Amino acid sequence: MTEMTTAEKKENRHIYGKTFLFILFGMTAALGLVKAFVFANDASRETILGRVLEAKSALPKIIAEPHDLVMVFGSSMVDAGFAPREFDQHLKDWGINNIKSFNFGFGGLNPYFQDILTRRVKEAFDANDRRLKLAVIEFNPFQTTITRHEGARSLEDSFLTMLGNDEEIIEILLDDPTRGIRLFNIKYLRDSISAEMITHYFGRALREPRKRTELERDKKRQERLREIGPLLNQAFEEEYPDFEDEEWSYAWQGGGTIAAERKPETLALFEEYYQLILDPARLDDDRLNRIHTADILEMRFSDELVEAFIRIVNQFKTFSDHVEVVMLPRNTDWINYTPEAQQRLNETVKRIEQATGLTINNHQDLPVIRPTMFSDTTHMNRYQGAATYTEYLAKQYRSLLNND
Amino acid sequence: MLFNTPIFFAFLMVFLLFYGFVFLRHKPRIYFILVSSLVFYGTWNYRFIPLLVGSAVIDYFLAQAIDQSGTQSRKKQFLILSVIMNLGILALFKYADFAIQSVADFLGVLGYQADLGSLSWVLPVGISFYTFQSLSYTIDVYRGEMKARKGLAEFTTALAFFPQLVAGPILRAKDILPQFHKLPIPSWDMVKNGFLLITIGLFKKTIADLLAAPAATAFDGGAVSLLETWTGVLAFAGQIYGDFSGYSDMAIGIALLIGFKIPLNFRLPYFALSPVDFWKRWHISLSTWLRDYLYISLGGKHNRIRNVMITMLLGGLWHGAAWTFVAWGAFHGLIIIATHQLAQTQMFVGFAQSQQFFNKWFKWIITFYLVLIGWVLFRATGIDSAGDILAQMHGLADTLPESGSKALVTLGLVCFALFFMHIMDYFVLRKSQQLMMQWWLFWPLLIVIQALCLIVGKPSDAFIYFQF
Repeated sequence: MTEMTTAEKKENRHIYGKTFLFILFGMTAALGLVKAFVFANDASRETILGRVLEAKSALPKIIAEPHDLVMVFGSSMVDAGFAPREFDQHLKDWGINNIKSFNFGFGGLNPYFQDILTRRVKEAFDANDRRLKLAVIEFNPFQTTITRHEGARSLEDSFLTMLGNDEEIIEILLDDPTRGIRLFNIKYLRDSISAEMITHYFGRALREPRKRTELERDKKRQERLREIGPLLNQAFEEEYPDFEDEEWSYAWQGGGTIAAERKPETLALFEEYYQLILDPARLDDDRLNRIHTADILEMRFSDELVEAFIRIVNQFKTFSDHVEVVMLPRNTDWINYTPEAQQRLNETVKRIEQATGLTINNHQDLPVIRPTMFSDTTHMNRYQGAATYTEYLAKQYRSLLNND
Repeated sequence: MLFNTPIFFAFLMVFLLFYGFVFLRHKPRIYFILVSSLVFYGTWNYRFIPLLVGSAVIDYFLAQAIDQSGTQSRKKQFLILSVIMNLGILALFKYADFAIQSVADFLGVLGYQADLGSLSWVLPVGISFYTFQSLSYTIDVYRGEMKARKGLAEFTTALAFFPQLVAGPILRAKDILPQFHKLPIPSWDMVKNGFLLITIGLFKKTIADLLAAPAATAFDGGAVSLLETWTGVLAFAGQIYGDFSGYSDMAIGIALLIGFKIPLNFRLPYFALSPVDFWKRWHISLSTWLRDYLYISLGGKHNRIRNVMITMLLGGLWHGAAWTFVAWGAFHGLIIIATHQLAQTQMFVGFAQSQQFFNKWFKWIITFYLVLIGWVLFRATGIDSAGDILAQMHGLADTLPESGSKALVTLGLVCFALFFMHIMDYFVLRKSQQLMMQWWLFWPLLIVIQALCLIVGKPSDAFIYFQF
């Protein structure tokens, strides 16, 4: 055992001081390079979850609304399939004036992420002692499959840091310090863009390609679509000159444009557009893509995601006067389950109903929604599908929302 | 707490802060390293800290007893106690369930269905490494190669030293204990070398994680094509090398930051020209341990075939309690013996000693091919599965038709990754001094590599060798 001399102590401090400085400088420079790379690839919270984050930041304004509030919450199928301003207008037409509804449908969020978002919604409502008059929650079986869950694993940490709050990450940290510190690192040093997310994105090129349709695309349709596209864009710019590039527009209550605001010639163009995009080759390819990414025909459900969905419903129940769970219409020309899948769906529906005490309203085969009202195999188009379904919902909840 | 995670980075920064500026006297420094190492170990499973400390304390006193014993027979008794204690712990935690299951399976083959139960104990992280390290101390003292050290804290700290605690390299007491007695101040060259090794190790680990997916396709994914099978096997060769040598490099680099020298554990193993050469380059700290404490103890070259087979079988079993590891060890034992015997024959003696370019290439190809066959046994989920993959590799079993150019691209990338890792190691081994002198190249290079590691990868992935 030998002790350091004074000179050695000085040398020791000098070496460790230098070591420290180089580590700090090196890591700062390396992180700077990471940020530059992420910036160059246009990856940010806003480009990835822009619509969700805009809706989240609109919550204080929503809560401050003097009207009774309706929220339709779910996936991209809700985003495409529910027009809040039309919903409100239908109610007004029936003498119900005190309702303001919002579209909280978001693409790319499976129930695990929706559950985290629901916590933010609940916090905002609870903090202001506010309640929803009606919450309509979509149960989307396609978002709840194991395939869908596995496909989103690499996004988990990034989305968690975008949607979660520090208290939740601290809770994770106390349970699993390694993961907790990693999440804080992702949130504050990497702007929520995790290494897994980047690897997943660039690794796509190496993954085996999915099965493609064998049907031939109709060239005439494609040609006409190429002509119509710019015309529709031009019409939008003329009819909405003040539109700010928002993904979740407060003015539109989270929904999109509505037919009442469009010129007749634009609507005629849309009608043609809707017919053209129903090219069987395009739809078959979309169906194959959904099978690949969401196991849409077999529907092997993820227990974890089903549990997350149950938590979503039970959370909404705490700050809503009335909660409805619905399954949105499906494109029956293209999405038809196998008997085993139907059996699995029935069992899952039963499980959710038992755990939430609510009955799921199955709108998958609504007669008023025809396959021609879809823009692809899962999403309704705006001026036919969404408009019809919104009216259907308004009729369904008319008596419930009528205060008189 | 993995080396490639932010939590370890935070841990290391706090450690360096206190070690470099606060604890400057010898004893406090020793205790600080010990406490830090136990905290590091405790993050895996704090319940096994007493086992680690207990092993150290018992071996410390047994070494004292061996040293002070007057007679050889008395020394031997204490050594046997140490061997029984260390291997007993290892056997209990690591091999008990395997043994029970094997007996049950054997009875099943004989027609007796027996449920013998299982212990189902959690395997303490790093147990195979620290028991071997501790055992080497008592054996060295018994052999008179070193005196028993005074200072229980120093010995326990050396055994629990966090950079190498959970996955080696397996240190020899005579190499590491004097360093704990002196607690050296690192030179700036050591620190730079440390940074280099940490960065290269991190990069290799990142590559290894990326190779995990194509490896899993061949080993865990069911039906694959011939090309995918070869890609998977090559990917696993790269994965295990990047993973383990990356960890070793980081361990050595972290130790260098605080002035400790740990010997290299890998030396371009896939450039080996014979199976013996491979083991001189792969997991050197284990292979030399097995050579010095097992092979030589068994008699070494006198009865070479038996001793090589026992050493390699036990070496295989050291890696894990499964028949695939036994088969892997046996396979390496056989190819070592076979190549040794062939090299003795008149026909091959010239070839074995030849340094001609084409002969060296041929030897390299054969050795690398044999190593790959070994990795199939190592990685496969069972003997049957290993047999299937080997048959697929050689066109002896049905495979899927080739899926197209992506499979070729993946194979190319896997081969490049394997080669690239070796090129990096070559530079670390041969050119690092020159590189470190070019500061304008050295520091930016490290920063760019660190950034690459931060951009890609899966930081949650564990290191493969932690399970051993």
